This record gives sequence, structure tokens and C-alpha cells, in this order.
Amino acid sequence: MSEKPHGRVFDLSLHLLDRQVLDRDGRMVCKVDDLEFERGADGSLYVAAILVGQRALSHRIGGRLGVWIRSIAQRLSTDDVPRIDFAQEDDIGSAIKLGASRDSLGVAPLEDWVREHIVSRVPGSRHESE
Amino acid sequence: MKFLQVALGILTAIGGFVDIGDLVTNGLVGARYGLSLAWATLLGLVGICLFAEMSGRVAAVTHRGTFDLVRERLGPRAGLANLVASFLVTALTVTAEIGGVALSLELATSVNYILWVPMVGLFVWLVIWRVKFSILENGAGLLGLALLVFGFALWKLHPDYGSLVHQVFVPQKPPNERLPSYFYYAIALFGAAMTPYEVFFFSSGGVEEGWSRKDLMIERLNVFIGFPLGAVLSLAIAADAALVLKPRGIEVDSLGQIGLPVAFAAGKIALAVAILGFVAATFGAALETGLSCGYSIAQYFGWQWGKFVRPRQAARFHVAVLLTLIIATGFVLTTIDPVMITEYSVVFSAVALPLTYFPILVISNDPDYMGDKRNGRLMNALASAFLVLIVVASVAAIPLMLWTRAGQ
Amino acid sequence: MRASDLIGREVVGADGARIGVITDLRCIQDGPLRGTQAALRVDSLLVSRHHTGSVLGYDRERQRGPWVIGALVRFLHRSMHVVPWSAVEDEGPPVRLRPGPRITS
Repeated sequence: MSEKPHGRVFDLSLHLLDRQVLDRDGRMVCKVDDLEFERGADGSLYVAAILVGQRALSHRIGGRLGVWIRSIAQRLSTDDVPRIDFAQEDDIGSAIKLGASRDSLGVAPLEDWVREHIVSRVPGSRHESE
Repeated sequence: MKFLQVALGILTAIGGFVDIGDLVTNGLVGARYGLSLAWATLLGLVGICLFAEMSGRVAAVTHRGTFDLVRERLGPRAGLANLVASFLVTALTVTAEIGGVALSLELATSVNYILWVPMVGLFVWLVIWRVKFSILENGAGLLGLALLVFGFALWKLHPDYGSLVHQVFVPQKPPNERLPSYFYYAIALFGAAMTPYEVFFFSSGGVEEGWSRKDLMIERLNVFIGFPLGAVLSLAIAADAALVLKPRGIEVDSLGQIGLPVAFAAGKIALAVAILGFVAATFGAALETGLSCGYSIAQYFGWQWGKFVRPRQAARFHVAVLLTLIIATGFVLTTIDPVMITEYSVVFSAVALPLTYFPILVISNDPDYMGDKRNGRLMNALASAFLVLIVVASVAAIPLMLWTRAGQ
Repeated sequence: MRASDLIGREVVGADGARIGVITDLRCIQDGPLRGTQAALRVDSLLVSRHHTGSVLGYDRERQRGPWVIGALVRFLHRSMHVVPWSAVEDEGPPVRLRPGPRITS
């Protein structure tokens, strides 16, 4: 039996995957669509980054549906899959809190595009409904 | 101050309970079956109370929306299946509600409903875009109280109340009606009362309004007083149809016929009030279902959602709502009979129910999310019993629909 | 390598016999500092014969009621193994374990 662990224990599927990610101001950023590992010097696997977006999610949906979603998503964007390095992570609780502000992350290209090309052009987009 | 808040919540719940599905289904069933299917409405009432209480409690404790939690708890695959089914059914309901508003405006103005449809779609979007959430919800709910005129009309008809009560609690299928159709309409009434969107709207709305644990008592009062009174209103609509239309053999296939008993019993002004009620109830429901479509997509993908932030901050959410409204409006413009769309929407609501309610049952039981506010044993027993009932209704709905050719 | 690669991957023993599929990855936050927190290290694999229902959490002790669903899932997961990462010989697919005893939770 291994010794008692002296760090917090997380089960990835139960505690991390599909959790809401919030920025330091509590605003919604994205969901943890997938997680990327990197190998440490001793051969251990460490959680390296949160992968975001439909392409990342398509791998978790799997099957033919996943492949289909991936092919559509790839047609819309040829950039790398958006990722948030796990260094940004500040707290894991009922949501994943990041230490950075949402705007500095750049993981929501669709949101930015929709905001610029559609929402901003409609009058009233800047006002909170009052 | 607290009292006013509670009263407002209850009144809004009463006026907001009835939507085009309830109007059409109760009117239709009342004219054909009298009150012998009232038990289905009452069962649906108990069900919606249970699940609205659970979803509201989840929102107040976790400050998170339903689909956000559904994907976390059930995983992306099951969550996606849930999303697709819920979205399709709710989008169909949006279509029915927009049709309902247009039909009501036609009743009020004699201008053909098709001409109203684009304006209704636009106005629904405009209100969602600009009007504050609480005004949106309370306004439509309060105006929907105009439907109380159906209760007034019932009183004016001087019915034999004993006989009505007997029909409700000792249901007897009319001799000339076949059993499959009888149960088909039972499922339709059940689906009309237990609309799936209610679960996500109630929980997302709770987050919009910033509910927290201290609001739980108010939320429960709204549900356990407001909804039953709303169901009584639905039954009044059915009773009016039973007393006026059924003896004359008038079958309901238009919105106007549902208002006929009110005109008959209480005159033109009462009819005008009823039509105001139609417009308010259907418009309010169009707002709720439109928002629900946006909530479900945005919450599944983790996008910023809600009217509690500036539209610029929730761009994808607002575009999702816009696209839904465009598609729904387009569908109504194909001139398919809106009453028929409504009938299909309530039956498909019944079919989709297990998918939408099961996750709420799981989440409201989870101590990690709910802490000490998770379901008690009584709630679990009732909710589990209802889950069985919902599954039975869901499985039987389509076969019955095919067998009876949609209730003929 | 991603979580989606490992979760759902078949696990076989040193003798080639099928043990099950990876239903979850248990990590401990005791790695080198990354940002403001210690890195999450993959410590063990949770392996079950079937993949259903694991995310419902009913296979972990804490979840309670509704009773029927919990009982059903616990039945499906009656043999869940916790396999330390050190017991993994080859990451696969499928994941092959080193010879030796396994830990059952």
C-alpha cells in the first residue's frame, strides 16, 4: 500500500472534467472539455492544461458523432485547440477558478466573433437591462 | 415588504402557469370529455410542483443553471442527448407559443394571424433583449391573471358544483369515447402541465434573480400555492368548455372556440378580458421558452449566459436565443395550423420528460452540491414515484398517438 | 496524451486477461509547483468491468438516494479496482499491467 497522500485528491472525471471554469472575477469562461497531460522526469503523468472547445469535446463524446462534430469544428477553425495552462488554475471546488481575467485568456474565439460581428451591431448591447 | 414579494411571486406563478398548451388541451378535452380527465391535470400539477421545487432549490443553493450541472453530473454524452431532446421540444413549444400569440391577436383584431407572426417574433426578441428579467417575468404573469375571467364565467354559468366535483374525483370515460383516445389525452394534459422547459427556466431564472438559501421559503410558497391555483384555472377553462361546448357537440379546433363559453356566460367585455389573458399567457410563455432554449445551449457549453450581464458579455447566448426565435417564427409562417403544432408540442413534451427530470432528481440528491439542502426521504419517495409515472407516459405517448391518429 | 484517451481505455493484466476499462483517473496534488498550486499527478487508475454510470458518482461512497439507481450502479460496479500508476507496464491501447497483485477498493 502506498503512504497516505499529502496533497488533495481529485478524480478527474468526477471533479474536473465538464466543470465550469470561472475567471478571477467569477465570470463564466468555459467548461473543462478535456485535459492534457505531460510527462514528468520520473515518468509520472501530470495534468498540464485544460482543453477548450468543440474539437476537444468531440473526443469525449466519441463514436461517429464525435468524429462528425470534429470535422465540422475543424472546418470552422484551423488554429490549435484552445487551451488554458493549468498554471492559471487557482482553486478546484464546485467550479474551477482561474487566477486570470477572462479577457486575457483568448479561449472563446466564437464568443469574440459573435460579439464583434452580430451583438455589437444591435443597439442596446452595452446596457444592462434596466 | 416580504408579504408583497410573496404575493407577487404567487400571483405571477398563477398567471404564468397557463400557456398555449394548457389553453388548447384543457379547452379541447373539456369540450369532449367533460371533467373526466381532470385527474391527469391534477397529476401533472403534483409533478410540476415537485420538480419546480427541486430545480428552484438547486438554483438557490448552487447558483448554477440546470444544464451546467447536468453535463457535470451525467457526462458530455448523456448531457448532449439531454440537450438535443430538450432543445427540440422547447423549440417546438416556442413555435406553438408564437402561434398562440398571433392567434390571440387575430381574435382581438380580426387581422389574419399570419400577418401578426413576424411582429410577434420580433417583439418577443426585443423584450428578451432589453427588458429586465424580473419585469419580464412578473409583467407577463400578472397580465395572465386576466384568465381568471374563466373562473368568473364558470360562476355565471351556475353549474352543479357537486356534479363537477364528482366528475373530477370519480372519473368516468364518456361511453361513446374509446379508451386509447382517453389515455392519449390524459398524456397530453400531463405533458401540458409538466412542461420540460419549466425545470430549466425555473432554475436559470432563480440564478438570474440571485436566489440564495434565504429565498427558499418564498420559492416554495410560489410553487405550492401559485401552481395549484394555476391548475384550478386550467380546470375552470375545461369546465367552461364542458358546460357550454360539450352539450352542443362543439369540438375545439380553434382558439376562438375556447373563449366562446366566456362570451356566452358573461358577455363581450368578459371575452375581451379573456383574449387579453390569452395574449399575456402565450406571450409570457414565448419569452420563457425562448430564454430556455438559450439557457440550455449556453449552459451545456459553459458559455456566459443570462440577462444579469450586459448582452455584449453573453454574445453567444443572445444569438442562440435569436436563432431559435427566427427558426420558430419561420416555422409558424409555413401556415401549419398553430393549434395542431400546440397539440404535438404537449405530446412531445410528455415524451421528453424523463430525460429532463431524471438529472434534476440526481443533482438535488447530491450532498456535494446541495449540502444539507438535498432531498429528504419523503421528497425522494414522491419524486421517484413520479419518475416511474413519467416514464410510463413517455413510453406510451407515441404509440397511442399513432394508434388513435392523434386522438381521433 | 489527453484524459479522453485514457478514460474508456481497456485494461488487461500481465497475462492478457481483460480486467475492465478505465473509468476515472485519481490524481494527487503533490507534484512540482505550477503557477500557484502543486501540479496534479496521476496516482492511480479506477478500473471497472463496465463504463456505465460511473460519473453519476454512485460508485463512490458519498452519493446517497434515490436508492434504486444507486443500487443498480453499485451492482454494475461491484468489481472496481484501484490500480496504482506504478503497476502500469504499457499505456496501450490497451493498458497492460505488470505482473503482481491488484488492489480492489
